[in-house]
Amino acid sequence: MTTATQGAAAEMAAIVGESRVVTDPAARAGYAVDGETPQCVVYAPSAEQVAAVLRHAADRRLAVIPVRNLTKIGLGQRPRAYDVALSLKEMNQVWYYEPDDLTVSVEPGMKLGDFQHFLSRHNLWLPVDPPGGEKASIGGILAANASGPLRLRYGTARDFTIGMKIATTEGKIVKTGGRVVKNVAGYDLAKLLIGSCGTLGVIVEASFKLFPRPAQRLTFAVAVPALGQARDLRRRIQQSALEPLRILLLAGEAPRLLGPDSGSAGRERALQLWIEAGGSAAVVDRYARALDDLARRCGLTIERLDEEIAAPAWARLCDAPAALAPALPITATLKATLPIAATEEFVGRSEEEAGREGARVAVLAQVGVGVTRLVVLEAERNRLAGLVARLRGAASALGGALVVEQCPWEAKSEIDVWGPPGDDFEMMRKIKAAWDPSGVLSPGRFVGGL
Amino acid sequence: MHPSPLVRELERRVGREAVLWRPEDLMLYEYDALSSRRAPDAVVFPTSTEHVVEIMRLANRERVPVVGRGAGTSLSGGPVVAEGGIVVSFARMKKILEIDIENQRARVQPGVVNLDLSLAVADAGYYYAPDPSSQKACTIGGNVAENSGGPHTLAYGVTSQHVLGLEVVLAGGEVIHTGASFWDRPGYDLTGFLVGSEGTLGLVTEITVRLMRRPEAVKTLLAIYNQVGDATRTVAMLTAHGITPAALEMMDGVTLRAVEAATGAGYPTDSAAVLLIEVEGLREAVDEQADIIEQVCRRNQAREVLRARTEEARARLWRGRKNAFGALGRISPSYYVQDGVIPRTRLPEMLDDIERVAQRYGLLIGNIFHAGDGNLHPLILFDSRDPAECERVVEAASEIIAKCAEMGGSITGEHGVGLEKNELMPLIFSPDDLEMMRRLKAAWNPDGLLNPGKVLPSGKMCGELRIQVSMGSGASTSAVNGRLPSRRRERVGSGGGLP
Repeated sequence: MTTATQGAAAEMAAIVGESRVVTDPAARAGYAVDGETPQCVVYAPSAEQVAAVLRHAADRRLAVIPVRNLTKIGLGQRPRAYDVALSLKEMNQVWYYEPDDLTVSVEPGMKLGDFQHFLSRHNLWLPVDPPGGEKASIGGILAANASGPLRLRYGTARDFTIGMKIATTEGKIVKTGGRVVKNVAGYDLAKLLIGSCGTLGVIVEASFKLFPRPAQRLTFAVAVPALGQARDLRRRIQQSALEPLRILLLAGEAPRLLGPDSGSAGRERALQLWIEAGGSAAVVDRYARALDDLARRCGLTIERLDEEIAAPAWARLCDAPAALAPALPITATLKATLPIAATEEFVGRSEEEAGREGARVAVLAQVGVGVTRLVVLEAERNRLAGLVARLRGAASALGGALVVEQCPWEAKSEIDVWGPPGDDFEMMRKIKAAWDPSGVLSPGRFVGGL
Repeated sequence: MHPSPLVRELERRVGREAVLWRPEDLMLYEYDALSSRRAPDAVVFPTSTEHVVEIMRLANRERVPVVGRGAGTSLSGGPVVAEGGIVVSFARMKKILEIDIENQRARVQPGVVNLDLSLAVADAGYYYAPDPSSQKACTIGGNVAENSGGPHTLAYGVTSQHVLGLEVVLAGGEVIHTGASFWDRPGYDLTGFLVGSEGTLGLVTEITVRLMRRPEAVKTLLAIYNQVGDATRTVAMLTAHGITPAALEMMDGVTLRAVEAATGAGYPTDSAAVLLIEVEGLREAVDEQADIIEQVCRRNQAREVLRARTEEARARLWRGRKNAFGALGRISPSYYVQDGVIPRTRLPEMLDDIERVAQRYGLLIGNIFHAGDGNLHPLILFDSRDPAECERVVEAASEIIAKCAEMGGSITGEHGVGLEKNELMPLIFSPDDLEMMRRLKAAWNPDGLLNPGKVLPSGKMCGELRIQVSMGSGASTSAVNGRLPSRRRERVGSGGGLP
């Protein structure tokens, strides 16, 4: 460690206290990002201290990456520099909670699982099922704009975040929005922060509108022999009056590796379409009848899953890389976003392209919204860049884009994880400069090297 | 009279038939549905993005402000010219460029009228969800600028939740494309940032929106109350029960009587308040929710709960609500509609407060709320020929908005800040908050040519924060009130506070 950063660690200690600055090599190694180990880990216990740490880092030109549970830390290019891991672990309080108003304000370090548990007292929830699952933090979900299949019904953080407080590299705490569910006063800075991957400021508090939990939930699974049938059924559902909570198409290795344990050998080879409905008993019953009817018209048979099987299965599906990782070497996780109608075609193309590069993929496609997650298994590292290029080419030919959510950092020298920026990049650069003029927040990790 | 060199240059770039410059023509572009300040130097009607680029380049060269304009239905002075310059009317950019039902989206030019898009996709069973009361006239470009809402945004969200991508002409004349025709394009969410920026960051020339499928069933209820407090308590209890209707609107007795006289919607004129409640979705869900809603209404002393049995009856109930502003205009020479937001649980308290304000200032205030999301529209009735009364109106409105802020709410829920409330921004934002907004604005609009005088405080105010729009016609330097008597139904300001 250099003398400068030793000095910096001491100065950080002056802000947050001796016990909250860790320089122990083993602890620091735990916060490595893409092979870079920070010089120290700083645990900030309050918004003011986050702001003070950022200001200090900016003054000293120390690169800071905000972290919590590291569930999405693989997202981004290799950092240009990385001196301080700023952990928000200690900021895990609910500041404001008005259950009758369905509004809440919470700190970024709160884990989603703990937050949902807290809200369940009043039968409320934040309807989001991101990668990382219960371990994902609120701040991480916002910074990565992480979402899962529930976005079909509820949208993403962008849709239910009503306000935010953000610590800036100038040591200020800036507020946007508020605690009311409708608000158009001033520029909506929260939109910029959501999905900014820790490159603009550090979210120190977020306010949400909450939703009542569906009274009942029921999951249906359909084994589908061919993509065309999957597309046919998805279209029929979309054109019907039904509004499922989530729809997920499992292809490639996904049915075999992530489907319900009870599956027969024949079903494992097929594609699977998973559909979850929510609502009152009468509503859920209607879904059962209607989906059965729609499936039969596509020549398919629908099956109800018991909730004891369905709930853990959905958790696995939403956090597929984590579910697969203990047993299999995961090479990369990719996310393609496409116009809705192109999704099934992309699923087919992705299996072909993976085959060409000698890789196997587990494909999880949110066919109602056009988002496909690909978990790449058993790819040779030196062929990964080629695979990404092929898949990005396929997504782009179908009018979409592809992001590498996670891959070995060694491969990042030859892979642009974000893909090429568009003609709005210059404005993105100006926005970055307005928030982080000294360029110390997650430098180089975002789109176009921002 | 001869056109100025600026006008000649505009004519050269976009065509003679696309430029207005005579004073009598410009006068029509002095105001929106809120107020007026001064006439622009020219109004230009581009028909393409290239035209907008040309206009923007010229404005840059000549250092004149540029103000985008849709149908002029804004209620915060958004398209009102504060410092002269060129008004860019999108009235001739009104093509629906693409309807893509398979991908549940449409691409439109900014001048497309909100309702026209819904009508264009109705046969396919789809619609465009944001539905401001002015939806028969207002444009999608205007909705994007103001991040407009409407009764049904309670369940489906305001404009920003329905816009996927934009084509934008920047202050320097460059054209950029934000977002995409799919979700989650990598990079900062410039689309989300631009929606609601009130024309101060760029001129939007194309919009990709999300379309939604029409629900299978709709049920509309009208709950009638003898006490306003019972109605507001019903709203709070419905929210607490986790019932999110598609729309939940409240009108008080003052409003009801005016609406009934004007539209014959079937509202009871002897009641203190009604709730207009709509639930949508699957038949089964709608039936159950309507029953629960009726029970909650009755538990809160609703005197009667009516259900619209036919589509005609439903349309009649909504006609009353959508035309309520106009109806109040019939019983008063002028009115001033406010737009504040409070936490929904505090509606009963807020309504008492508005009543106290009305009494203190000796004014009649009608209340029309998007109650379900705590968005208040108190309508202050007055006579703009009475300067003292005008003064009281501004005081009363400022007090109501300050109260919203004090309750942890917002100074605007859907009308925008514009030039009406930019000086009120410090009620809810700190100097640091505003400084960040100012800096971001400077990144997009470095010379301040795009819609100057809007959104952010001028920095020239000291002391008391109050609404900056003048109400009266007496001291007016503008002749709008006199020459356009029909406008009297809408509140027309005077620009008296400006040089």
